[in-house]
Amino acid sequence: MVNIKEVLNKLGITDINQGVSTGADWFDTNGKLTSSISPIDGKEIAKVKNGTLDDYEMVMKKAQSAFKEWRLVPAPIRGEVVRQIGLELRKYKEELGALVTLEMGKIYQEGMGEVQEMIDICDFAVGQSRLINGSSLQSERPQHRLFEQYQPLGIVGIVTSYNFPVAVWAWNTALAAIAGDVVVWKPSSKTPLTAIATQKIISDVLKRNNVPEGVFNLVIAKSSVMGDNFLSDNRIPLMSVTGSTAVGKRVGGIVGKRLGKTILELGGNNAVIITPKADIQMAVMSTVFGTVGTAGQRCTSTRRVIIHEDVYDQVRDKFIAAYKGIRNKIGNPLDENTLVGPVIDANSVALFKNAIEKVQEEGGKILFGGEVLEGEGFESGNYVVPCIAEAENHYKIVQDETFAPIVYFIKYSGDINNAIAINNDVPQGLSSACFTLDVREAETFVSAVGSDCGIANVNLGTSGAEIGGAFGGEKDTGGGRESGSDAWKIYMRRQTNTVNFGSELPLAQGIKFDI
Amino acid sequence: MAIEKDITIEDLVEEYPFSVKYLADKNIKCIACGEPIWGTLEEACKEKNFSDKEISEIVNELNKLANK
Repeated sequence: MVNIKEVLNKLGITDINQGVSTGADWFDTNGKLTSSISPIDGKEIAKVKNGTLDDYEMVMKKAQSAFKEWRLVPAPIRGEVVRQIGLELRKYKEELGALVTLEMGKIYQEGMGEVQEMIDICDFAVGQSRLINGSSLQSERPQHRLFEQYQPLGIVGIVTSYNFPVAVWAWNTALAAIAGDVVVWKPSSKTPLTAIATQKIISDVLKRNNVPEGVFNLVIAKSSVMGDNFLSDNRIPLMSVTGSTAVGKRVGGIVGKRLGKTILELGGNNAVIITPKADIQMAVMSTVFGTVGTAGQRCTSTRRVIIHEDVYDQVRDKFIAAYKGIRNKIGNPLDENTLVGPVIDANSVALFKNAIEKVQEEGGKILFGGEVLEGEGFESGNYVVPCIAEAENHYKIVQDETFAPIVYFIKYSGDINNAIAINNDVPQGLSSACFTLDVREAETFVSAVGSDCGIANVNLGTSGAEIGGAFGGEKDTGGGRESGSDAWKIYMRRQTNTVNFGSELPLAQGIKFDI
Repeated sequence: MAIEKDITIEDLVEEYPFSVKYLADKNIKCIACGEPIWGTLEEACKEKNFSDKEISEIVNELNKLANK
């Protein structure tokens, strides 16, 4: 088992921690003192001094000033700083992974996986720093050159959620940094310590490379200090927010009103389709990770399994058998034998119980689990037995995302198109998957008439995306894209340039305007 | 009165956790994706079309529950 004291010491976490930083510098604040509570045992890990409105203003001024310098640093040199951040994260992978587990509750393997994701995006960003390219186009006018390029954008506001307390910061920050932007990070108030630890890990790199204060900023504060004022701040051209659809709609409204740009990574209602032509064993094993991994608290967790009637009983029985095996592996997520840790807090437990009540009220049937565990090791009250419920897609509770380990089994008949219709018949559109060995079914699922989600996988589950692809979803999921592929472009200002290197002044479209 | 209509949902949930269930029964969601929604109690109620009078009643009932 991990030695928590050693972990906190190595990461520089003390009993009371400052919550405002502009890179290597930390600031004593007059904000409220809040506690970070571990969902594992319900006990306080440490306290954090929250930022105030004055702190926010100070940070924004530093960020504005730093941007003026940082944008002049060549992108590959900015990439070199990000490379070193990746190396530093490698050194602290085990400790930071353990703190993620301690503060958020995901199992240690997933905690370390989260840090690996940070490292991976740093590596990706280093390469991208030499590949920030634009097109050279053909001008219709003689002796004119037409091209486009990408310029640094400015301050990027980042709001992260507790379920991926540091990886999402890295997805945004690594790309923003190589793009020449500066970031102001508001982490979840449930996971401030992982944010502080991350900021401390990178601070040596920033000092070694003389990175100006104000490029990598952290402000731990409640929404009363960094809420609507943060969103409506005209100094921030891009706001990247990971959270619920409800929060995203608020963000979209406020930022949209000032015509700012947003990356919104919001709720999902992710489904796996299992057709009669699937490798059933593979489908079940893969899908179970999607339903119970991170105790059902990933944006990409599998919420619905859409099963063909011909294989429904077989899938259900295999699923229940797998859940029975997991039932004995619920516990302290720092224990390497544990597969399912706690949910984040009592409110999440209440919503889990509420979903179980509601699905039954609407006519559904509980097939397994749903209990809240008590007794030794479960004193925090945050440990639940993952639940499988039979349901219909139109149930109100099924249409909503419950951020806990409850999965709905939905039966379909006929061909793959019927399953796709059910997959798409929810407000959200983040991730989806189809298990089949039939190439027609697989290709239909990923075609224009297939899944309407931002992510559509074949023969693998809905969760556990790689950083190389763009991550995000459609409809109520918000439409943003982060991480790989060409997601870097949103962090930059696109500019079209025309240079006249001749001595004539021809107008486009052949317009004559002789003075 | 401890709870006012302009309390943020974040503070309400933290200081008066019973509010989550109370408001959920009125179809007002305080927690989504495991995090409190942004905005005030009044805004959350108005989004669900509660009138000013009904919001006052909700605030009164929450205070009664808080003082139990």
